Amino acid sequence: MRLEVEGPAGKSAVAALSLATVRGREAGLANHQMDTAQSAVVPGVRLRKSVATLTGADLAGLRAALVAMQGISDDRGYQHYAGIHGLPLPGYCVHHDAAGILGNLPAGPLFLPWHRAYLYFFELALQDAGQDATVALPWWDWTTDPAQPSEILAAYAMETASGQPNPLYQGPIVAIPDSQWEGERRTLTDDTGIDPGPLPAVTFRQPGALPAAPPGLPTPPEVKKALSSPSFVDFSQRIERIHDAVHVWVGGTMSEIPVAAYDPLFYAHHTMIDRLWWLWQLQHPGAGPPARYLNVPLPPFPSLTVGGTLDINGLGYEYALAEVPFVPAAQG
Amino acid sequence: MRPYISKPAGLAPVDIGTGYHRADLVFDGVDHSAGSFALRVFFNNPDATDKTEVTGENGYAGAVYVFGHGGCFGDEGHCDPPVGRRAFDHRPPHQLIPAKMWIEVTDAIRELAQRQEQLVITVVPVVPGEVTQDSPVPFQKVSLVTYA
Repeated sequence: MRLEVEGPAGKSAVAALSLATVRGREAGLANHQMDTAQSAVVPGVRLRKSVATLTGADLAGLRAALVAMQGISDDRGYQHYAGIHGLPLPGYCVHHDAAGILGNLPAGPLFLPWHRAYLYFFELALQDAGQDATVALPWWDWTTDPAQPSEILAAYAMETASGQPNPLYQGPIVAIPDSQWEGERRTLTDDTGIDPGPLPAVTFRQPGALPAAPPGLPTPPEVKKALSSPSFVDFSQRIERIHDAVHVWVGGTMSEIPVAAYDPLFYAHHTMIDRLWWLWQLQHPGAGPPARYLNVPLPPFPSLTVGGTLDINGLGYEYALAEVPFVPAAQG
Repeated sequence: MRPYISKPAGLAPVDIGTGYHRADLVFDGVDHSAGSFALRVFFNNPDATDKTEVTGENGYAGAVYVFGHGGCFGDEGHCDPPVGRRAFDHRPPHQLIPAKMWIEVTDAIRELAQRQEQLVITVVPVVPGEVTQDSPVPFQKVSLVTYA
């Protein structure tokens, strides 16, 4: 695909091939092309790219920030953020379409907004820890043709990178009280056949190996069908089912809500889910969670409500397939 | 967890209506408090087990993958969802309230309905270890719902 970008005032420019834009064109979403293309080059807006297209420098920056975040033991660190999702108690994540919020409204429509807020706060903490405002969460496009083997991308599957332990391969589990960890440890041992041992422990994966695992990762038609859902609630339910299947396929700690977020792969998986929500939003302008949900807060993130999560550009990020840097033409 | 086998249900137009564009198999009250598991659904194959190959020939209709909470980590009562909800209670919902889940089965139902066949649903839990007959079914109700 040819991309022509004019740099501001004739200076050098960074051209971003927004996936939303590319996909938008494919889907005939002309009204959104300019919005997404412009937001992709707004200073300060971070680009979330596909894991598959990260450059060596992107990966090095991501890994350095993750290592720095894992080295922080207070509420700016990896343990704190991983723990928000599940253990230690209280766990805040919203999963499954259970009744019970605000006079028995189903909680299901909160799945996508809550996790968007979670990724937003995690990503800012990652940038802070790495002292690098360009670091952004990449997305793992797990869609796989059934004829191909399902697998985890090498960036997350390699035990080492540049001669060092790869922080994307596994994450530490440290800050859970023993009384809670022992219960989770028993469950993990029973369900996965692997005893992670006492704390400190590390996450582990069993791609496609659990008895309950789906036969493979989600297929493009499954995702396409979800994206064609006309209502937010229907889309949310479909995408949560796909999300659940990926967790169970990965296995190990990713297959248990209390400890899933300790695995760095969790964030690449959920960034993919968030991206699909954004693509759905672009295809369904004006559609979103039912109005009665918009003012619902998303604890423990007091500054965000459901309504506050709807515009990702307002949260300072954009989804891109790749980034193509241009250099200025020689001045004659 | 033990398997669930339904009584035969009618699929004639009088039973499920006409003109529907979508049919879902809806599970109410799915227990997601323990480890992750799958529910495999087979149509008109009451002998299906977790060893049955998931093919159309065997009546396989799809699966629900339940991302589980992995057990209880609090003191006694911590993991018991409250019964009912008080007025003016704006706290977030208890995380272990049983869930509603579904799989879309439109094409399979259309095919069976055209033949006006009856439908027996077999739901096979796939869990670590053996499926036991003396434990509860991990959901409260399963229904076929059609939408116009």
